[in-house]
Amino acid sequence: MKRTRTLATGLAASMTLALALTACGTADDDGGSTTADGTPEPADITLWLAGADTNDDLRAYLVDTFAEENPGSTLTIEEQDWADLVTKLTTALPDAANTPDVVEIGNTQSSTFTTAGAFREISPELYEELGGDKLLASFVEAGSVDGTHYALPYYYGSRYMFFRKDIWTKAGLEVPTTLGEFGDSVKELTTKKQSGFAMGGQDWRNGISWVFANGGELAVKDGDQWTSTLSDPNTVKGLEQWQDVFGASNLPATAKDVAYWDFLNDGTDGEAPDAATMMAPGWARWSIGDLTKNDKGEEVRDGMADDSTFDIFALPGVDGGVAPVFAGGSNMAVSAQSQHPELAENLMRIIYSDEYQTLLAQAGLGPANADFDKLMTVDADGNPNKFGEVTVATAQASKLTPPAPGWAAVEGALVLEELFQKIAEGGDVTALAAEYDEKITPMLNGQAG
Amino acid sequence: MTSTPTPSAAAAAPTTSSGAPRVAIRRRRRPTTPYLLLLPAVAILLVGLGYPVYWQVVTSLQQFGLMQQFGAPPTFVGLDNYVRIFTDDRLWAVVARSIAFCLVNAFLTVAIGLGLALLMRAVHSGVRIVLQVVLLLAWATPLVAAVTVFRWLFDYRTGVVNWLLVELGFEGYAGYAWLAQPLTFFGVATIVIVWMSVPFVAMSIYAGLTQVSEEVLEAARLDGAGPTQILWRILLPLVRPVLAIVLLLQIIWDLRVFAQIRLLQDAGAPVAETNLLGNFIYELGIGSQDFSGAAAVSIFVLLLTVLLSAPYVRSLMKEDAV
Repeated sequence: MKRTRTLATGLAASMTLALALTACGTADDDGGSTTADGTPEPADITLWLAGADTNDDLRAYLVDTFAEENPGSTLTIEEQDWADLVTKLTTALPDAANTPDVVEIGNTQSSTFTTAGAFREISPELYEELGGDKLLASFVEAGSVDGTHYALPYYYGSRYMFFRKDIWTKAGLEVPTTLGEFGDSVKELTTKKQSGFAMGGQDWRNGISWVFANGGELAVKDGDQWTSTLSDPNTVKGLEQWQDVFGASNLPATAKDVAYWDFLNDGTDGEAPDAATMMAPGWARWSIGDLTKNDKGEEVRDGMADDSTFDIFALPGVDGGVAPVFAGGSNMAVSAQSQHPELAENLMRIIYSDEYQTLLAQAGLGPANADFDKLMTVDADGNPNKFGEVTVATAQASKLTPPAPGWAAVEGALVLEELFQKIAEGGDVTALAAEYDEKITPMLNGQAG
Repeated sequence: MTSTPTPSAAAAAPTTSSGAPRVAIRRRRRPTTPYLLLLPAVAILLVGLGYPVYWQVVTSLQQFGLMQQFGAPPTFVGLDNYVRIFTDDRLWAVVARSIAFCLVNAFLTVAIGLGLALLMRAVHSGVRIVLQVVLLLAWATPLVAAVTVFRWLFDYRTGVVNWLLVELGFEGYAGYAWLAQPLTFFGVATIVIVWMSVPFVAMSIYAGLTQVSEEVLEAARLDGAGPTQILWRILLPLVRPVLAIVLLLQIIWDLRVFAQIRLLQDAGAPVAETNLLGNFIYELGIGSQDFSGAAAVSIFVLLLTVLLSAPYVRSLMKEDAV
């Protein structure tokens, strides 16, 4: 009896201690050097890249060039996950001891952090040096406050449709020319086992293309106040059209923006693919196609080499042409708390150099500087590149989410995921739009919701 | 100090000036060693828990958002955050859901753990070692890895569970999305959490059972007690302190469950309807940068935890005092 009780007490004590230790175990050790007075003294600076879009060659170029141009200094690149980028930035940027020096941030998240004063001002001289008016205007605006620049465009991407040409052709369908025709075609292709158009119900980033195409807006600024405009007739029309198209998807209404390319490839043992069409950023191409071996002998997809099976088209507009899709992409900024701002600005100079912009364009990432757009539309041998052509065409028609101070909060609280899921489940669009307008408007203006 | 006081030494006390006064001083001095030994623990608690709690309380009384995080001075708003949070319907739905989820999981975990502990006592030692190793492996599996595996098992498209159900003739489960409905979502979450916590409970109770002396059991058997009677009248009362403490710990842990739910939500779930307290705080604070609102909810959760565990702590203390 006595011994059991001692055991119990011991257990409780050790568990409490373990909890306490876990609580203390998260303190970070900081990088060390903290002095910077006028002249950039050698140091190690950190660049945060979001996701894997910046490929290894691009990263190696940045690291090598930085070391070369700044003797004694080094660049460390840390990759952050898109899903918790806002969290990491919120906690790391205000902390001088732990802040990364230069950060990549989603274009739609830029406004929030720029308004909060998280970034170091980019002087007009430096702005001109880095490209000035040639930089993608909508992204520059997202990173500016009253004409002062804080975050600049890093790259843009855009979304277009990847489809199984063999399946479409077999069903006697052509590439659609209007948004309505697209909906009809993919619904025709839908069977119990195959989605005509694979899309998750919570995937609002692809879904808002239907809103934009119908002339709708998510929010507008009136004076200095933002108002959510989901109930606008055009927005409602777009949401209803998307609800209708979702009927062509076998994915759950709760699914997010998932790896749609898996759906387009043949299944194991040559089984029919799970979907005939999907929408994704351009780099999805490298996850689609037949299996082949790369130089290192790893099994990879051949990047849609077989163009009688796989092909692409831009999402058509309501009355033809190209629909305005959501412009993917990101911005680049120097942390206001950076201890090595001169070195950080030197890194910015490398990123906006002609060489790096060329590399970006060749890697299929829309370069920040418009001078390099033309590199997107041709391949290394100067032949037309359909992927680049469609990227540039859709990017020109693309739109951004509202640059409201509270937009990152709307994204962070997964409000749009919730709205689109309810629409996908067949909810009444007009009623839902009114309900979510009430929810989103206070958040947009930075009021706690 | 080596000399022991003898009657003769005591008698000679007035002449030996060093002995007696030293003893007198030592008697008057309060024992400092126990306090010194307590110091590190108290310091760790103050630094590790005291400061964050202080910060939470202060923040919950301020307006503190992203602007303040980046250096703008926060304004004092009194209890506004609490009023705002308590009048929010979302909070009460989350609280009810969390308490129900916590109690179901805690009792389920302890019941299964007790079953396994009794099994370990009953089986051959070879089998028991295999069982213990298996339990330890489950206990040692990193959380993220474990949840990922369960996500794959329950994947609507390629999951083993759906495949198995279809093979067994339940055609309706082809492509069934387990995480899409709150009820099945919490079903999966319960499986993950119980699976992860049972080993600790089973091992603790088993350790308690090994302390039950064989003589007591033999005496009971001689008196004609059957296995059921031995379980209810002897084993369970004897390991009651252990049962009580693991149940208490389990309730506290299951109330603050966060990562498992978050990771399952990432696989695509109705987020607002599956949020538990931890997730709600995270979404409020980190997701929408409403740090003061999140701090207010945190303080509320702290009080809730104290409230839920107070009866247990009281009865445990009482037992210790016996």
